[in-house]
Amino acid sequence: MNILAGVSAMLALSACNGIFEGIYDEPEADAASDFGFVNTPSGDEPGVIYIDATDYTLWHYIDFESMEVTALPTDAEAPAQWDVAIHRYDAKTNGGAVCETGATSFYSLRNFVKPGAEAYVEDVWTTSTIVTDMSTMADGYLGYAESYYNAELSRWLDVDKSQMPPIYTPSNKVYMLRMADGREAALRLDNFMDASGVKGFMTIQYIYPYK
Amino acid sequence: MITVLAMAGASAVAQTDSATEARLDSLEQAWARELNTVVVTGTRTPKLLKDSPILTRVISETDIRRADATDISDLLQTELPGIEFSYSMNQQVSLNMQGFGGNSVLFLVDGERLAGETLDNVDYNRLNMTNVGRIEIVKGGASSLYGSNAVGGVVNIISREATEPWRVNVNARYGAHNEQRYGMTASFNAGPLSSSTTVQYHGEDSYDMKNEGDYSRYYGGHNWNFKERLTWKATDQLKLIGRLGYYFRQRNAQETTRDRYRDFTAGLRGLYTFSPADNLEVSYSFDQYDKSDYLTVTKADVRKYSNVQNSGRAMYNHTFAGRHILTVGADVMRDYLTTYQFADNGHRSQVTADGFAQFDMNFIENFNIIAGGRYDYFSEANMKHASGRVSTMYKFPRVALRASYSGGFRAPTLKEMYMDFDMAGIFMIYGNPDLRPETSHNFQISAEYTRSLFNFTLGGFYNLVDDRITTAWSQALKGQVYTNIGRVNIAGLEANLSWRHRCGAGTRLSYMYTHEHVRHGEPYTASTRPHTATIRLDYGHKWGWYGLNMALNGRVLSAVDVDEYTSITSYEETERVHYPAYTMWKLLLTHSVWRGVTVNMTVDNLFNYVPKYYYSNSPTTNGTTFAIGLSLDINEFFK
Repeated sequence: MNILAGVSAMLALSACNGIFEGIYDEPEADAASDFGFVNTPSGDEPGVIYIDATDYTLWHYIDFESMEVTALPTDAEAPAQWDVAIHRYDAKTNGGAVCETGATSFYSLRNFVKPGAEAYVEDVWTTSTIVTDMSTMADGYLGYAESYYNAELSRWLDVDKSQMPPIYTPSNKVYMLRMADGREAALRLDNFMDASGVKGFMTIQYIYPYK
Repeated sequence: MITVLAMAGASAVAQTDSATEARLDSLEQAWARELNTVVVTGTRTPKLLKDSPILTRVISETDIRRADATDISDLLQTELPGIEFSYSMNQQVSLNMQGFGGNSVLFLVDGERLAGETLDNVDYNRLNMTNVGRIEIVKGGASSLYGSNAVGGVVNIISREATEPWRVNVNARYGAHNEQRYGMTASFNAGPLSSSTTVQYHGEDSYDMKNEGDYSRYYGGHNWNFKERLTWKATDQLKLIGRLGYYFRQRNAQETTRDRYRDFTAGLRGLYTFSPADNLEVSYSFDQYDKSDYLTVTKADVRKYSNVQNSGRAMYNHTFAGRHILTVGADVMRDYLTTYQFADNGHRSQVTADGFAQFDMNFIENFNIIAGGRYDYFSEANMKHASGRVSTMYKFPRVALRASYSGGFRAPTLKEMYMDFDMAGIFMIYGNPDLRPETSHNFQISAEYTRSLFNFTLGGFYNLVDDRITTAWSQALKGQVYTNIGRVNIAGLEANLSWRHRCGAGTRLSYMYTHEHVRHGEPYTASTRPHTATIRLDYGHKWGWYGLNMALNGRVLSAVDVDEYTSITSYEETERVHYPAYTMWKLLLTHSVWRGVTVNMTVDNLFNYVPKYYYSNSPTTNGTTFAIGLSLDINEFFK
């Protein structure tokens, strides 16, 4: 066995752990360390909100005025001030409504003509959409939280669960959010993964106030 | 010596291909080829196929061309019964060979094992058919020579040796779903030096299936494959063979993530002949298989898996009295694995070492015995395992009788010992460092009748497989845990008939019956189809400068009813699932238009079979498709 140990040590000195590591990107170097409002809008350039929405049991409440993101359990009371909230890829509004535009960038949003109120979709109450417990899936059922849910804004990422693993298809569209008091914001889901490809990290581009 | 004799075999094939001036010549060449086919996989030393007690199926270069296959999965399904490639989760390809899964069949390229796996299967796309001289398949256990994984069989892909002064072949193929294949092989022989360079590109689009099923969309993608092989006959005694390889595959399953797979391989082999009775082979092999995610939004290529294998081997052959061959050898391998399936994307490594010996005895005329054994050691589990083989053959003038016992085993892999993986928040999968090796005892008998170009083989096998390694639900850990499970017995019959006629027609019919024995009252969970067959009818003729070859290849697979557990957390309830029978036929017309110019026309799924429901083991087809190909042997233009 001493011979084996010697051979093992000798091999470990050569390229035994692989070659060409440099052709890959290092996620650690690119990883965003800041969460919340990481950039504010400037001209046509949107601001950026980055949220760790990997936890199935949390809603992340976004308030555009104070530029704060508050994470609270799905069964907790919402904070006093908030405009839109994110749970994994699900979205809800604080009494607002959402319209999907044809624009896939904020630059092309210049040509967007605001539609009438009928084009905006309000939240609906759901008992079977907001998944809070995946671990019971092995037993054939899922745990859900009761909540409001905005189906229009949630179209920013289609998750086709007809085969495993699901197929994720982002719409890449810009969504117009009209809040209950008439303020407006434009939102676009830029990415739903972190730099390593872990799903549930939401990079949301926004312009607020949108006029 | 292996290579020299292999070259002799390849040379016979090449001669046969070019000698199509007269049918009779061609037939005599084919007969000579049958007689002189040399195989190496069963014994690790060159042996005439007809003289080997270890029954070996050879797929020749001509067979490969007539199957119009892109990779090994295409080819094996076309040529052999009892083989089925289906999908496991995430449309990853999974092999079933006579009841054995992908990790129980050892795939080799020129005798070297492959790094990397996905859901217990090597990357079959890596094994393309460009510049392949032949493929040898030995069924049953072969751990006495090859160690771990040779439980159900060995598939050895042997590169074509460059025999012509120079050769350049370029080829292209276009088919349904924008399938495109381009290949180039360039080789030369100059004094002691010979080289062979191969490049292949293959790509196809993703497409939706016609009906609903376990999968609704086929994931397209593309791959590149580059191989270089350089041989230098330094002296009459010493020959050195160097090789390099690069493989890249991208699969377009998700819009935001492209699955990428890469392999880097290199090797150096030295063959030294001391005397006609003594030779030594020493080799070093490097193989690295990586998986990465290319994230289209951030344009980052993030590696998530790397398996690196460095191995060395020494093997010595001595021939006693001109007819008994003693082979002794040893291997050492370091296996390194880093994967997203380990805690914190960690890494593990282990060293395996073994020694083996084999004696090929010919004491009595027409009676040959091969006996061998191997002892393996695995550092990480401090595990040792011994495997053995005894194979015999008795030859009558036209009939050869073979009987064989062989042992097989599969050591638990680093993945199976140390996995710590969160399956999308649904459950965890845990490795188990206390796993025992999976073992098998294989018994085979066969009778082979040969007369001129008629060959009929009938064989039976019985496999006792114990301690199979799989995942099972642990209520205590609330997750899947790798564990050893009980014994399974697999028995079967195989019949093979091949016949060539003087008019240029040929037939090959192969049938296999496989039965996995289940104790009375237990659910039948095996998804192996009991009856399978492959059929090939071909006809070739030459009229002046024009030659035509027609090949009809068929596969017949019976239905199978499987009891499947309704829950992954309990093993109390099952439901019976019926997987329907189907047949699949491919017609290939090969036109030799002018010297070196060949046009291929393929009709795949000739009878337009469309699954009503796409099960994971249904063929990925939406109906009949057509493909056209062009091959140019540029060196032939200058003859």
